[in-house]
Amino acid sequence: MADMILQVNHLSKSFGSHEVLRDIDFTVSKGDVTSIIGASGSGKSTLLRCINLLEIPTSGEILYHGENVVGKGFNAPAYRSHVGMVFQSFNLFNNMTVLENCIVGQVKVLKRSREEAKAHAMQYLEKVGMTPYINAKPRQISGGQKQRVAIARALAMDPEVLLFDEPTSALDPEMVGEVLAVMKNLAQEGMTMLVVTHEMAFARDVSNHVVYMNQGVICEEGTPADVFGNPQRQETKDFLARFRSN
Amino acid sequence: MEKFVQLTADIAKLWAKYGGSYLTGMRNTLILALVGTVIGCLIGFVCGVLNTIPYTQNDPLPKRFLLKLIRVIVRVYVEVFRGTPMVLQAVFVYYGLPYFTDNALKFSNIWAAAILVVSINTGAYMAESVRGGIISIDPGQTEGAKAIGMTHVQTMLHVILPQALRNIMPQIGNNFIINVKDTSVMFIIGFPDFFAAHRAAVGASYLYFPSATVEMAGYLTMTLIASFLLRWVEKKMDGSSNYELVQTDQLTMTAGTYNHPDKGTPFDEHSREYQAERKGHSGKEGR
Repeated sequence: MADMILQVNHLSKSFGSHEVLRDIDFTVSKGDVTSIIGASGSGKSTLLRCINLLEIPTSGEILYHGENVVGKGFNAPAYRSHVGMVFQSFNLFNNMTVLENCIVGQVKVLKRSREEAKAHAMQYLEKVGMTPYINAKPRQISGGQKQRVAIARALAMDPEVLLFDEPTSALDPEMVGEVLAVMKNLAQEGMTMLVVTHEMAFARDVSNHVVYMNQGVICEEGTPADVFGNPQRQETKDFLARFRSN
Repeated sequence: MEKFVQLTADIAKLWAKYGGSYLTGMRNTLILALVGTVIGCLIGFVCGVLNTIPYTQNDPLPKRFLLKLIRVIVRVYVEVFRGTPMVLQAVFVYYGLPYFTDNALKFSNIWAAAILVVSINTGAYMAESVRGGIISIDPGQTEGAKAIGMTHVQTMLHVILPQALRNIMPQIGNNFIINVKDTSVMFIIGFPDFFAAHRAAVGASYLYFPSATVEMAGYLTMTLIASFLLRWVEKKMDGSSNYELVQTDQLTMTAGTYNHPDKGTPFDEHSREYQAERKGHSGKEGR
């Protein structure tokens, strides 16, 4: 239990009268690579956004090393700097170059020196293979390249856990591979990751824990072998059958 | 035709006598418009940022109350100064101060009064432009900044405002050009701008139309130069559409890993034979 990073207890979220998440419980421990799968509208992304406090949960708690981050007066910016996030639509800062994108957070939030931040950023940009493009603006590079920079930007903050919100859904098919390769590398290096994805192969082969969500609740969870190989619930079977037939 | 000859002669006559005061007037107009626009933009940015500080039902009551109050104050300021003519605002401010203080306080400096009026007037327009500029930025930019732990102020300063500034640059240019022309109403409080020079010149010479021609040409010249400069600034802000690929020697083999298809053939430039032959060649050339 000592290496537990996040613990979500009875989390619920409503938009008006529409209840998107109902009584969600799950934990993230150090080194876990958790894939959250499910149909569109099942609440996967909302769950991820709640964990990063981009959405405020209606009820329930999220414990970060035992401390509830949902409570009033909690320092959300400081917490977010430990929990990285990669978005479906990249969200790179359009007014900065690739390198600046990876430096600004380190300098302004973590108060690192510019030189240190630059060296650190270059290290991660190299990891995602984007060093030749450090002087380019986001509008000048392709979607896959943007997402790799976004991953480097998140990594440069040295987060304890990295959240991925459908990182490949906005990409052309031929660019999906380059992003998944980077993510696979990270997983193998022991990065703690929480991935909302429609890439079933990634969920099955790379993650060590799979959560299937349906209509705002966790329907089934377990190891990839269990969920994909031997699903217990009918909803899970139906969902996976749709993917197999493709 | 002879009318144009006459006009040219009249303008020459005016210019000979009042050329200096026209030029001083133009300089004053430009300085007033520029300073007023810059300060007005700063006011607009402060109002625009204050207006867009987000709050949720989870925030403590005093914070929500304060933010609501700020929005109301900014709203009133915008509506009042956007909804009244600048010429009246000038009179109102310039004569209001001594009226209320029984002449104990008045504007000893006409520049201060004029700059104040132009600035708060421009600020009222810019507050709305800046608000529009901020909400035009993709919410994803804010989320990206939040996700790496930036506070609201940091997000604004480093991510949102630089992009909003670029988007509202045409608006700022608009305001500057409007100010170049509309500062002509400042003659009402005795400010010596370009239009005041016209009034002084025609008061003595009665050459109304020739002086008006000079004014028209003068204002048009100033605004054309201004819009040319603004285009240039916008282009500068966009930056180069090219970028340099940085060669990091990722493909260059380091020592010990040297390998290529020519290895072991006579064309292998790293082989002893090739090196020896090259030495021989250069040796011959040397002689």
